[in-house]
Formats: sequence, structure tokens, C-alpha cells
Amino acid sequence: MYHRLTALLALVFLAAAAGAAENPALKSGVFNPPRMAPDFSLRGSDGTELKLSRYRGKVVALGFGYTFCPDVCPTTLVDLAAARKKLGADDENFQVVYVTVDPERDSVKQLRDYLAHFDPTFVGATGTPEQLAGVYKAYGVLISKKAYKESKAAYLVHHSSFVYLIDPEGKQRALVPFGRSASDIAHDVKALLKR
Amino acid sequence: MVIHRLRLLVLSVVLSVTASAYGQAGDSALRVEGAWARRAPMMSGDSKAGSGNGAVYATLVNPGKQLDALVAAASDAAGTVEIHESYQDMGMMMMRPVGKIEVPPGGKVEMKPGGYHIMLLNLKHDLKAGQTVNVTLQFQKTGKISVKAEIK
Repeated sequence: MYHRLTALLALVFLAAAAGAAENPALKSGVFNPPRMAPDFSLRGSDGTELKLSRYRGKVVALGFGYTFCPDVCPTTLVDLAAARKKLGADDENFQVVYVTVDPERDSVKQLRDYLAHFDPTFVGATGTPEQLAGVYKAYGVLISKKAYKESKAAYLVHHSSFVYLIDPEGKQRALVPFGRSASDIAHDVKALLKR
Repeated sequence: MVIHRLRLLVLSVVLSVTASAYGQAGDSALRVEGAWARRAPMMSGDSKAGSGNGAVYATLVNPGKQLDALVAAASDAAGTVEIHESYQDMGMMMMRPVGKIEVPPGGKVEMKPGGYHIMLLNLKHDLKAGQTVNVTLQFQKTGKISVKAEIK
């Protein structure tokens, strides 16, 4: 299982690298050819059933993380919030969907309160372990929980830190690696909205 | 002539005072530069995730001739403070506690997102942009250095 995911991830990275060279229009690694983003149904932090397909017509930034995370996840969320601010009138056509990798600690309320701190429009998602496992697999997201005796944290969660950009037709178009600037993200969102 | 000599005297006094001030502040003393914290919310605390976490970053500069190391940190804004490191492995972002961060003689270590950070666990209040948070860094040789980290 782990090996298959690793292989999938390696393929995604190769495709992203190759695509980036062929298509300089986007600043992130692109999927070439684009494929439909696998749909899913999870519990949204807005209290409703969250289907990805609900956001057809918008560009979706799909990220994975957890609220206990102090460094990488909030950095990504701050960048996504800053990117949204740079969109101007297009901000209505951009939706951040943040799927937890830590359903044990991230309740619907926890996700809602946490994400509101970054941007009130961000929507979190959680679900049963089976539902979430299906989403992780569909998107090649790797997760591993680890406890450290040196830390007072009960456990930390290692996880894939990239963000997918999904175009208004529901196609997976780009993979944004950790650390990409808000300007670059905004640039790519605008490019995907124009098509 | 007298005026010129006076000018020279005044100039040399000013220069020597300036030089000694700089000498005291930082010939070889370890410095903590550009400390900042990521804005973070205090959570309600009714979940297993505790009351929310945050991170502080800074550049540790060691102009001295001896190896030093950051070995602990404390803050009045958090229940627990630990030194952690984020790192990437096979596209996965990992995080682990580290016992210390060594700062080599004549060198510096930059703590930054996706790398070394001081993790604040169980926040006692929101870390709001524009405010500051007090952090005390404990070094093996230099001892304690307190800084105000700007919240961004």
C-alpha cells in the first residue's frame, strides 16, 4: 500500500516536472494532460455535506493538513489567504478546501474555528476514517502519525504538504509545492480562471 | 589651529565611544536576530488538540570562537515550548522535536517556516498580527536571551 502510494506520488512529481517545462504559463507544476479531480463527499466545516463538485465554476485550492500543526500548515494557509486577497474581484471564484489529516483531533468545530482565523471563506473537511482514506488515496496524499517521547504533544502527523489547484471544470491542473509565494499562487489561480 | 585641534579631539572621542559601544554589544556575543511569530488563534480547548499552537522563528548568530547551542525556550504565551524541525522526505512534510540547535563558531542558523522553529503548545491567548510575544531562548554557553518576537 505504502509503496504503491509512493510510486503514484513519484509519477505525479515527474508529470508535474515535465509539465512545468512544457507549459510555462503556470508557475506551479502542471498536470499534462489534466485529469478530472476525483470527487468526494465529506463533512464540511460549514456544517454541510461537502462535495468537491459543489465548486464547479470556481478554482479550488485543495490542501491537506491539521490544526495542531504550528509551522507548515499555517504557513500554507497564510499564503493561500494572501493569494486570495491578491485576486481582487476574482476572489469570489476561488475556494480553499482544507482536508484534515488528523480526524481524531480535528472536529468540525475545531476546523471551522481554526480556518476562520486565516480567512472566513476557507472550508475544512473531515469524515470517517474510511471516507478520508479514500480521499487521501485518490490524491496520493501520504500520512503517518508518530509520537515522540521528547515532546508533550500526544503525536505529530507527517503528511504531504502540496496543494492541488482544480480548475472551474473540475480538472486537476497544478500541484503547488510548500513554500510557493502568494503572488505565484494568485498568478496561477488567475490563469486558470481565464481559460 | 586651536579649533582644528579641538575638532580632531572631539572626533576621536566620538569615534572611540562608538567603537566601545559596539565592542560591548557584540564582538563575540551570540545574538538572536529578527525574531518573529506566525499569527495563530487560541482555540477553545474543548478538543484533544489543546488550546492551539504557534511557531516562533529567529536567526541565531554566533560571532564567537566557541560552538553554542539553543537547548530550550520558554514563553509566557504558551503552556509548553519545544524546539522542533520540519523537513521533507519523499514529498512528505515531517516534523520532529530536536534536543538542540547547534550554532557553529562564526556561523549562523536561520529558523524559518518548513525548517527549525520554536513550537508554542497550548497558547494562552491569540497571537495577533502587529503585536509581539515574549520568548526566552536558553543557550548552552551564553545562557538566556529574551526577545520580543513580532507577530506577522
